[in-house]
Amino acid sequence: MQNDVEKLVEMLSKVFSNTKIKEIMTRPPIVVTQETKIKYVKDIMRIKGISGMPVIAPGFKLVGIISIEDIIRVFENGSFDDRVNKWMTPDPVYLKEDEMLLHFLQVNEDLKYGRYPVVNNDHKVVGVVTKLDILSWMFKKLGYIYVHDERREKALNKKYMSTITGELLDKEGVDFSYKIDYDSVEMIGAAATRLKKFLKEKKIQEDIIRKISIATYEAEANVVIHSSSTGNVYCWIKQDHIKVLIEDFGKGIEDLEQAMKEGFTTAPDNIKEKGFGAGMGLPNMKRFSDRMTIVSSIGKGVKVEILYYIKEK
Amino acid sequence: MKILQILKLLNAEAVFMPPGSDEYEIEYSGAADLMSDFLAFSREHMLLITGLTSPQTITTAAVIGANGVIFVRGKEIPPEVLKTAQELDIPILKTSISMYIACAILYKNGIKDAMGTDRFLDNGDTL
Repeated sequence: MQNDVEKLVEMLSKVFSNTKIKEIMTRPPIVVTQETKIKYVKDIMRIKGISGMPVIAPGFKLVGIISIEDIIRVFENGSFDDRVNKWMTPDPVYLKEDEMLLHFLQVNEDLKYGRYPVVNNDHKVVGVVTKLDILSWMFKKLGYIYVHDERREKALNKKYMSTITGELLDKEGVDFSYKIDYDSVEMIGAAATRLKKFLKEKKIQEDIIRKISIATYEAEANVVIHSSSTGNVYCWIKQDHIKVLIEDFGKGIEDLEQAMKEGFTTAPDNIKEKGFGAGMGLPNMKRFSDRMTIVSSIGKGVKVEILYYIKEK
Repeated sequence: MKILQILKLLNAEAVFMPPGSDEYEIEYSGAADLMSDFLAFSREHMLLITGLTSPQTITTAAVIGANGVIFVRGKEIPPEVLKTAQELDIPILKTSISMYIACAILYKNGIKDAMGTDRFLDNGDTL
């Protein structure tokens, strides 16, 4: 099987060999710093479903690569509290974003690594290329397979993998969903009040309903004020917990640590006049949830997942 | 304290009272013009004191499960605020007195701070 894939890649690659690496690579790359603890690297790999990551120094300079094989070595001989620089492979083989696919093929013929970091002219890491990237890129180029691929993507999008519990949440089996497709500040609360009503009908405990409503309200306000895009609110009611996912497809959060600080805001004055933009949104959401995770990257939107435990009465 | 009693104490006018709201009990209150502040110190069944006459005030009240909103400083209530209150069953009152005096009167009459910062007054603790 592995050999067949190699052969297929080799054969098809020749057809597309004058394509630049940057057209194929996955970006933005998922990276770690040298100081990251191995246990977090392991979690990132598991959650993101990847088997390796470039290691960077400040300014996204490439200094190494860490892969699942290294994690196995840590498991055998090290501690998960060790840091990446102890176990990474320093000075890894890399590609440049303007190099041609043909170059990748030549490099890969000799080395057969699973993944290659891609750097720009300033030696900054801008992407990662794996054989899978090349395959899926070629499939997209080949019309009939593309249809198949699109179908698969559609099916995949119906599921959302929880970043807290790792379970797959089926958006078709969702108990509540509401689309945030308004950009007027006056509409903020439409989603939260509907969710509240829904939870009341489901006879959820009052104190949980209140917490969920408040956190959802803040998240909804963020989508309307900051994302410049539409968003969705989903809610799943399970036996022992309730999960709410608020997602948007907008500009994303630049500095999450800063955004989590009370009083930090990027809201314009016309928003503040309406009583919003006090820089309390994310801190309030955290305050009114049992668990909360935020996944965001520039230009890819924000996904906020909040979890509430239902205690036995 | 019943909401009707608050109406009298603050020399307020009932702009909208959903059916049954005459009997609402108010034990806690808080004053702010920022919605996030309300959310941060909110308590169920509280009374919101605010000068911000926007539909968001009502939505915020509904989200935290407040028993009512009083608009201070003699603000005019825009129709969309009234409409939101009717949709969400939130009682709204208005008064011409200032936020400061409204708070002072309610505190003097035993309404507690939703944020709980009045505790140090009762037992000599420092903040």
